[in-house]
Amino acid sequence: MRELIVKSMNRFFHEFGSICLFVATIVKTVFCTRGNAQAILAQISSVSYRSVSTVAFAGIFVGAILVLQFHRILVQYDGEIFLGGLNTSAVVREVGPLLISFLLAGKIGAFTAAELGTMRVTEQIDAIQCLGTNPIQYLIVPRWIAIIISSVILLVIGLVISIGGSMLVSNILLDINPLQFASSIGQFTDLSTVASGIFKSAVYGTIVASVSCYEGYTASGGARGVGKAVTQAAVYINLYIIIANTLTSNMFEFLQDVLVPFIKGAW
Amino acid sequence: MGIRFNCVCKRFGPKIILNDVSFEVSDGEILFILGKSGAGKSVTLKHIVGVLKPDSGSVFVGDTNVSILSDEALTAVRRQCGMVFQHPALLDSLTVYQNVSFGLRTPQYLASLERPLTENEIQKIVIEKLSLVNLGSDVLDKMPSALSYGMQKRVSLARTLAPSPRYLLFDEPTTGLDPITTNAVNDLIFELSRKLNVTSIVVSHDMQCALKTADRILVLDQAKILTIGSVSEIKQSNEKLVKDFLEETLALFLPSSIGGHG
Repeated sequence: MRELIVKSMNRFFHEFGSICLFVATIVKTVFCTRGNAQAILAQISSVSYRSVSTVAFAGIFVGAILVLQFHRILVQYDGEIFLGGLNTSAVVREVGPLLISFLLAGKIGAFTAAELGTMRVTEQIDAIQCLGTNPIQYLIVPRWIAIIISSVILLVIGLVISIGGSMLVSNILLDINPLQFASSIGQFTDLSTVASGIFKSAVYGTIVASVSCYEGYTASGGARGVGKAVTQAAVYINLYIIIANTLTSNMFEFLQDVLVPFIKGAW
Repeated sequence: MGIRFNCVCKRFGPKIILNDVSFEVSDGEILFILGKSGAGKSVTLKHIVGVLKPDSGSVFVGDTNVSILSDEALTAVRRQCGMVFQHPALLDSLTVYQNVSFGLRTPQYLASLERPLTENEIQKIVIEKLSLVNLGSDVLDKMPSALSYGMQKRVSLARTLAPSPRYLLFDEPTTGLDPITTNAVNDLIFELSRKLNVTSIVVSHDMQCALKTADRILVLDQAKILTIGSVSEIKQSNEKLVKDFLEETLALFLPSSIGGHG
């Protein structure tokens, strides 16, 4: 049992280290070579277009579920007035960024790992290299940047739809009108809440982009190798997102509870 | 100066792929590398373009030791080398025209020109290279997935020829091709070598093609060079593997004499 744990940890840290080195190469390429804005825009539109319907669909239902669950608790304490605020805060802070990143992991992460893995095992990446083009610059950088930017774009779309869905459900099922719903939003949600949601989404988007590109780019061993790359991408993305969620949430708690009052006091 | 391997060793995990391999290919020469599957033939080619690095030893392309170059420095060497892969390796999101013209748009290629090529000039080169591999301009706008395997291989060959490389590396170029195109490809390798002094290294299983086209033949076996020599020297070799390859070729021409039917 101990051996198994040690082996798993070794593999985890080896993989994590390799992904960090891969990201360092991407970042170096971004800053040291001329970017292809057209390729990046094409990838952003492709990623966003492919995911927007899933994000919208999931957003409506998650908004509906949250509003019903919050209502069940709040009604016990006569706190229905806070429904809109609590629901919006939860969606913007945690549920939205997490949901978008999990959807991106399943849809775009798996697609990217499979696409790059197939290019690797069919020697397309070697061919690009042999024709004098840097495959990191040509293939990876546009996808990597596009997934990160798309994750923020999709978050904004998802949040608007989710909050709209919550309003609609609370109006139809709970008889709370939209104005009543919106009245408490300002009490629970401010600019820092939105900033933390966007920051988290960008971090999770970076995880989806980095892990899927790495697993696809380093795939080997034919169709089986591509399958393995896609599976590993899905597993590692979800694992890293959960770890990152813990870290970013604590970081924002620290910023809000300790650092901001300290700065205000000093000011 | 051609291409030179100096005591190259390469292993993947515990498996030794190349063990102290040394040989030299002169400018304009055609060298065929023969051997059984897994003998290290494709790995040998990938060392020349720096896709793989040797564990020890060195690989020279011209005067440049490619085994110690960084990826950035390798692009200049790769500009001189054209590689035809075992699979067609066409970019499946690009059309045939975009695939063949890919190498004509790279910064390294553009830097080697006095002025950038116009789109008309690029189109002319693409059509010319496609015609060398018996393909017409009707395939220009097709996606690779709309072509047969043989046609994809020919497009891949045209893509490699487009930037006019000085060294051509072929990884089983005729696998999956019909006999007429196979002959055309072999003739093309021969012509490029004789007319343009292009140095060619061809990895193949096909002894018949090797006997017809090669200046010299190198046989790899169990990670080592079994034998290297001119076509006549190879024909007289006493090595069992070489004899097996020759007998197999003979069997294709004279099936009745080998099969015992006549």
